[in-house]
Amino acid sequence: MATTGPKVKKLYALSSENKRFCFSQPLKHSIRIGKHDYEVKLKADEKYGTYILWKNRKYPVEIIRSRQNKYEILFNDISYTFTVETPFSMQRMKVLNASKGKNEKETLKAPMPGKIIDVLVREGSTVLRGEPLVILEAMKMQNEILSPVNGQISKVLTKPNTNVMKDDMLIEIKVD
Amino acid sequence: MKIRRILIANRGEIAVRIIRTARKMKIETVAVKTAVEPNAIFLSDADVIYDNTEDNSEIPVFLNIERLIEIALETKCDAVHPGYGFLAENAYFAQKCQDNGINFIGPSPDAIHKMGYKTIARKIALSAGIPMAMGSEGNIGNEEEAVAIADRIGYPVIIKAASGGGGRGMRIVRNPGEMEKMFIIASKEAEKAFNDPSVFIEKYIENPKHIEFQVLGDKHGNVIHLGERECSIQRKHQKLLEEAPSIALDDDLRNMMGKIAVQIAKAVNYYSAGTVEFLLDSEKNFYFMEMNTRIQVEHPVTEAITGIDLIEQQIRIAAGDTLKFRQKDIKLRGWAIECRINAEDVQSGFAPDPGKIEKLSLPSGANIRVDTGVQAGSAIVPSYDSMIAKLIVKGKDRRDAIKNCKLALDKVWIKGTKTTLPFFRMLVRNPKFLNGTFTTAFIEKDLDKYYLNSEYEEMLAAWLATKLFIEENLMDNSINVDFENSREMSPWLLNKRINQF
Repeated sequence: MATTGPKVKKLYALSSENKRFCFSQPLKHSIRIGKHDYEVKLKADEKYGTYILWKNRKYPVEIIRSRQNKYEILFNDISYTFTVETPFSMQRMKVLNASKGKNEKETLKAPMPGKIIDVLVREGSTVLRGEPLVILEAMKMQNEILSPVNGQISKVLTKPNTNVMKDDMLIEIKVD
Repeated sequence: MKIRRILIANRGEIAVRIIRTARKMKIETVAVKTAVEPNAIFLSDADVIYDNTEDNSEIPVFLNIERLIEIALETKCDAVHPGYGFLAENAYFAQKCQDNGINFIGPSPDAIHKMGYKTIARKIALSAGIPMAMGSEGNIGNEEEAVAIADRIGYPVIIKAASGGGGRGMRIVRNPGEMEKMFIIASKEAEKAFNDPSVFIEKYIENPKHIEFQVLGDKHGNVIHLGERECSIQRKHQKLLEEAPSIALDDDLRNMMGKIAVQIAKAVNYYSAGTVEFLLDSEKNFYFMEMNTRIQVEHPVTEAITGIDLIEQQIRIAAGDTLKFRQKDIKLRGWAIECRINAEDVQSGFAPDPGKIEKLSLPSGANIRVDTGVQAGSAIVPSYDSMIAKLIVKGKDRRDAIKNCKLALDKVWIKGTKTTLPFFRMLVRNPKFLNGTFTTAFIEKDLDKYYLNSEYEEMLAAWLATKLFIEENLMDNSINVDFENSREMSPWLLNKRINQF
């Protein structure tokens, strides 16, 4: 990504749901709603930590993850993931997306840290969407982890009595 | 039987809560310091701290009956308050306290046993003529037996742990094909959670409201009720928001259900505070579900509308006092709502999100009560529940309480872990919540999104992401970043960066 400051005049923040927010570069410290510009301030203090001040209200903010041009922001207790693109990288992405095929493999990840109590399927099992595949115990609750798709189990990556972290891969499913 | 010193056999907000009342009553308290939470704030509230950090036992101290008895004797406590969870509904613990001359602040071991064992409770309720959902006579041994009973009473049915409670060991079965799998899951979960794999079956009441009655009984045979709590806002049978009273009840229904609740309590010679849970269907038929023989997490909403301190009543009753009020003295005034602010990620289906509370600021005011066991710097540890605080808000009626709740929610400031706040912010604006027609299926069936989605907030978040991108990539004076290598960034980096501006 060969970008130098002055040349980039616009930036796009794309949400994970493909919503597009356009900002001018250099970035204005205000956001326009209708005909009015409202000042945005990023601040931090001992009592509140980091926050954004907007229309006389404080909103807690946190950067959860930053990876290349991808940012996960916790804003008022809700996390949002954005990729920030320049007009050039945006164009390139469109081309790439057009040539990409359908995702044929689904990986089931642990939604929370915990302990695997039971694995209800084996490699080769045929599963239907919504079928429980794994039982994960976390904070005293047993949770069934359901298959997100119809397909065939291609790999079982965990076993009972294993402690797992959030996002650990548990099972791979070949999508029908 | 005057009580002079109480061992708090619990932790967190309920330990703080019990100590607060004990202090008001000029009773000393002993709190137990554990290695998991050596700086917990309930410790600093207690008169005596018992240091149990060297305890190498496999069992956590709050579940270790022998150890707790030892501590109570060593610290010369004449009473034990078990709080909720842990050993609060363990008849053996209550008995052991009694055997050692320690006053157990709760009901008799016999009442705990009878109500704790759901199949016994069912039999008692049945013979007392209490309305109940149809179900198995007692425990069921295997899935074939389960299928046979389900064929008789009709699907859907619910499998429940005989020694259960709190939603664990419970599974709904909609057709015979699911029975085997659900039977095994429920039974395994029951064994794990309650050390008892026995399960029984009941007709599953579709889309009910969860209505529970607070009862108070003394050791002289007097039992009254303090009205109901509406606890239908739950997910996986875990309550998230409770209110008192319930919009679904009028005075006639309240009196009728209240009478039945008292009748159930009397059937087991109940004393102390207890809760009788009912399911209320759309035709306003109600069914006895179970009785919780302890103080409940959601007890503050009842306190808010009755003006009665339930912990104080528990202590007085344990000491042998006669109840100071009769049923006609109980007046419900106003409306109260409790939000359970937990360290959970509502965007990942309420997955626990343990971690350190970096910043914490909680609202206060005439209509607001906050019960918490943490402060800034405290950790929400995976070994305990995920509660951060209970926000209890009052109003003159339901509308007023919801309005006050909305305002109070915006004044809660928590950093360091994700919380259930976005869920409540959504809920207090949801039409179905506002009109009161929600049932226990609300979260799973009526919501597409578990949190409030604000266009402007998302835009501000996008602005921040863009700002970070510019700093990292487009500014000459930015920190040098190896752009090709991905990396994790901790939130405090942001602080550092802001200070550069």
